[in-house]
Amino acid sequence: METKKLTAKDFITIGIFTAIWFVVEFAFGMLGYLHPYIVAAYVVLLPLAGAIPMMLFYSKVEKFGMITIMSVLIAIIMFVTGMGFLGAPLIIVAGVVADLIARAGSYKNAKMIVISYGVFCSWICANYFPILVTAKSYRKDLLDSGFSKEYANNLFRAINSKTIALLVICCVLFGFLGAFLGKSVVKKHFEKAGIVQ
Amino acid sequence: MKRNLDPRAKLYMLFVVSIIVMLSATTPLLWCIRTMITMIPIMLLIKEKRYAWALRFFVLYALAMILTFFVLGSGSTGMWKAFLTGYCGIILQFSPAFITAWYVIRTMKVDEFMSAMQKMHVPDSITISLAVVMRFFPTIKEEYGCIRAAMKMRGSSLAGGNVWKMMEYRLIPLLFSCVSIGDELSAAAITRGLGGKVKRTSVVVLEMKSIDYLLMLFLTGAAAVFVFVKYWV
Repeated sequence: METKKLTAKDFITIGIFTAIWFVVEFAFGMLGYLHPYIVAAYVVLLPLAGAIPMMLFYSKVEKFGMITIMSVLIAIIMFVTGMGFLGAPLIIVAGVVADLIARAGSYKNAKMIVISYGVFCSWICANYFPILVTAKSYRKDLLDSGFSKEYANNLFRAINSKTIALLVICCVLFGFLGAFLGKSVVKKHFEKAGIVQ
Repeated sequence: MKRNLDPRAKLYMLFVVSIIVMLSATTPLLWCIRTMITMIPIMLLIKEKRYAWALRFFVLYALAMILTFFVLGSGSTGMWKAFLTGYCGIILQFSPAFITAWYVIRTMKVDEFMSAMQKMHVPDSITISLAVVMRFFPTIKEEYGCIRAAMKMRGSSLAGGNVWKMMEYRLIPLLFSCVSIGDELSAAAITRGLGGKVKRTSVVVLEMKSIDYLLMLFLTGAAAVFVFVKYWV
């Protein structure tokens, strides 16, 4: 198929990988309720966890728009699961930029894919966004809705306007690392089996 | 005649509940509204004769609420108490959205969803992908169950305690089966004319009935009261 337009098959691929990806991230995301530092550690955990399915997804991407649509779906899912809409535009921006980077390597260039995945991972920080912007009321809400003071204190020690830059950088760096690991796993298993050319 | 809610009303419900979930409740009145909103999907589940799930969700929510308000306070410290508080917090915080989403996904047929989205002029790219995501969660669960059973049979569930290996052993077969299921799914979808240039027609005729409007009105009212009380009183 040489068409530039996305077909139904592409949409189905996007849907499947978004579902798998979401299940993986959700499983790791649940850990955050054990301790607030784990919430901050998402920047390490999630890029690594999501890398294998995403690298397989990247191997199926051939046209512009697939990564963008995926980021829109993620934004919708994040909204429905109660993460708020403040981060949604940022998630979509990360998706579009990642898509453009991958396109620059015509979706084949390994280096571009790694960079693209790193940028894509910065969506995780979009979820911290409400914590930063509405810090005061967020804290009050946490306490009022039954979280302990300890939890709130630790959360704000880990995530504030000073650490956010570091968190974004961590996201991107571990995105790179995850991409390398994911790529090697995809190579090891899927290229041998002939699922990926 | 048995009539279900219009999918658009269900989607609207999901939308409103997500907004309310995002704004956390702080006063007793707000808690009342939140609880009321949570009870709607549970009641709807009863109406759909999904008694077991309705009961499960109800017990979960009630338990979390009792624990949070009568057993634990925000001053509680200590490992186990903090742990419990955290978990009750997450249940109270996110379960309304979770229950609603569960209800909507379980009771909405994919063709209903497609034609509802088409009527709301959502682009195909989003509609098809979202429909696949929705349809795919149960599939993933099923496949994962099979993989776990297979691993158990061979005695490799723990992979020698290596966390990375444990993940690899589960994720790779899951991805394999999902990819092939995806290929089958696209073949099936294309035979049904998905992705053609012609506007698709639908067997299901969607029609908003008074009960749908009633539900939407009620939800809008509840959300408006919630926002008003939270920010202006």
